[in-house]
This record gives sequence, C-alpha cells and structure tokens, in this order.
Amino acid sequence: MSAANYKKATKTADSMVTNTGAQMVCHECDLLLGMPALEFGQKAFCPRCNFLLAANRPHALSLMFAFAVAGLGFLLLATAFPFLGFSASGQERTVTLLQSIAILATEDLPSLAAIIFTSIVAIPAALLAGIIYVTGALNNNRLLPGTVVTLRWVIMLVPWSMAEIFLIGILVSFVKIVTIADVSFGMSFWSYVLFTVCLTIVVLYLDKRELWSRVKMLSND
Amino acid sequence: MTEHTPSSALAQGLQGCEICTSVGPVGEDHCECCGATLHSGWDVSIQHTWAWLATSAMLYLPANFLPITYSRFLGKETESTILGGVVTLWEHGSEPIAVIILIASVLVPLGKMTVLAWLCLSVQQGSNFAVAQKTKLYRVTEYVGRWSMIDVYVVGILVALIQLGNIMTIRPGVAAVAFAAMVVTTMFAAHAFDPRLLWAEVGKDSGK
Repeated sequence: MSAANYKKATKTADSMVTNTGAQMVCHECDLLLGMPALEFGQKAFCPRCNFLLAANRPHALSLMFAFAVAGLGFLLLATAFPFLGFSASGQERTVTLLQSIAILATEDLPSLAAIIFTSIVAIPAALLAGIIYVTGALNNNRLLPGTVVTLRWVIMLVPWSMAEIFLIGILVSFVKIVTIADVSFGMSFWSYVLFTVCLTIVVLYLDKRELWSRVKMLSND
Repeated sequence: MTEHTPSSALAQGLQGCEICTSVGPVGEDHCECCGATLHSGWDVSIQHTWAWLATSAMLYLPANFLPITYSRFLGKETESTILGGVVTLWEHGSEPIAVIILIASVLVPLGKMTVLAWLCLSVQQGSNFAVAQKTKLYRVTEYVGRWSMIDVYVVGILVALIQLGNIMTIRPGVAAVAFAAMVVTTMFAAHAFDPRLLWAEVGKDSGK
C-alpha cells in the first residue's frame, strides 16, 4: 500500500519539475535547488549557506547494515554482564545495566527510570532494528512491507537516541565517585561503549536523501 | 537579503519534507512521499513553540532549586541541587567536569529557551534582520539541547551504584524528573519551531 502511495507522490513531483534534475529544499536556508544524482563518494553542499545536503558514501547501505547488526549484538551483551562496580569501606557492589534501571524504578522515581531506559536502550535498539530492516531490503534491491514507515520512524528517532550522552554521564559520575570510592568497569560497560560506536557510525552513514531516493527508485519499478 | 527572494522555496509556494527531503506545495499537512507530518500552519508553529517554552520555563525552576539527590553518608543525610553539585565538584578539584555540568545543565537550557523565545518574537514582529545567522543559531540550538541529559544520567548512575545502606546511599530527588522533563520539553519546543518562518518576510511578495 505504501508503494502505491509512493508512485502517486512521485508523479505529482514529476509534474512540478520542469528540468530533469530532482528538486530539493536546503534544510538550513530554504533555498530551492535542482539536485544532481550523486556519484560514489560525492557530497552536495548548499551553494548559499554551505549546508551539507546529501552525501553518497561508498557502501553506505552495507556498512549501515553491518554496524547495525554488530551494534544490536553489543547491546545484547551489554545487558548480560556486570556493568559497573563500586566498592567502599570494604563493601563491594556490582550492577548490570537492567538492574541499575530496576533500582531506579524502585527508588520512588519510576518516571526517571522510564526516561533513562527509553533513551539509552529502547530507542537506540529500535533505531538499529529499523536500520537492519530497511537496509537489509534495500541491499537486495527490494522493498519490504512497511519500509517507508520504518525509515520515517528511524529518521525521527535519531535525536532521541542518547547512548553517547549516557557515556559522558558515566564519565562524569566516575569523576564524582572516584574521590570517595573505587569504581570498576565490567564487561557490559565495554560492550555498551562498542554499541555506541556502532550506533554513531550508523547515524553518520544515514543519509536521508540517498536512502529515500533508493526507496523511490525501487517503488517505481 | 533581497537577492535570496526568488530562490527560496517558500517564495515559490514549495516546502521540503524534513524526513525524506522531497519537495511539495506549501499547505499540505502530511508529506505525500513518506507520510511524515509537515509544518503547516504558520501561527500554529509559533504557538506550539511558545507553549513548550512556557512549560520548560516552569520546569526549569524546580529542576534548579529543588534537590536533585539526597546522599546519606554514615547516617548523615545531605541534599544537593544542580548548582550545589557544580560547586562541590569545583571545590574537589574537578574543574573541567564542573564546567561541563555547568554548561550542559544550567547554561544550555537557559540559552536554548532564550534563543527560541527571541526567534519566536522576531518572527512575530516580521523581522528581516540577519535571517541566515538566525537560521544557523536555530540549528545549533536544536543540536545541543539533547546534551543537557547528561545530568539525568549522572543521577541515575549514582543512585543505581551507591546503595550501601547506612554507610553510603544516594536517592534521587524530584528535581531529576523535573530536569529530564525540561530537557524533553525544550527539545519539543525546538522541534515545533519552523525555521522557514524566519524567511517568511524575505519572500513575502509571492509567498503565502
């Protein structure tokens, strides 16, 4: 059904375009542009404000797929082992990622636990799963049911995924605690770091223009 | 500024979708291509931004003046606010971290609200001044907002980790939730603002 919507949309777009190049509006300064098709490795910048409009990075689809799979794997590992350890006055304590969220939920403020869980686990996981679904299909030159909706959600979720901010938060907490107690980093912590690296690479390679033009191309076939 | 007029999408009655970058006529509610919600009504965008801004401004007060953590150390309980935490960090010699927290938790939210309020006002007054720079400022504001979440995570980690009964225990304060809600509402405010409104006066003659 979404593919049908798509065809209709492209037709109206075509009727508006007088020259051959597809149109685009600069996100930054609202300049109306004719966009050339980008070759591998090419980037397009807005002539007026120099904003990066689109980038056709070589092997972007395969890389996004690969790093999304790896990222989800690391996230899974990040929930399985001790995350952080803490020792003071002869007492020691280690917590896993999910345990620490459960502790927060029971400490009077379940809303805080919900916000943290959503922004550092649920949304990043959904984002990576969505990327796998979309790029997995596009890599094989086909569209799956719901590709359009999934891609839209993935792009909307990007600013709400806060894994890298969480890592900075851990760094700050470490500095705060280290004067009064010893902090140890568990296996899961390092998995979470690698997960964040994978996630960052995926987001770096995510180019709206290129992904959607691929989707459009396939839905017109 | 006038040389921009003919080339702006708005001046030609067109708009780009933020999600899929396709171009369609101004006035549509949803992108025909990907189905995403488009910024449609001019006034609605400003109203929504003001509403989210007012909400976040109200949350800013409890977030900063109520205790964000209660720490019990050898039976003695002390409460600390965001600014109190910054001062403590500074006194313990962690100046760089103190500065990070001060910027991320206090200055960024405040700056973000001020910038968005100023942008709303200048749109409502039909200002034509430094439109390109204002657009840039908006993008920066939109980008840095999420980094304010650092403090929410710090509270989360401290509370989860430091649970040694009477020896040393940290509990979250209500300011943590107010703070997180404030960050989220400022993100919504930034999202509700339509930067093309800044260009509305530039393309007035042919635009809607």
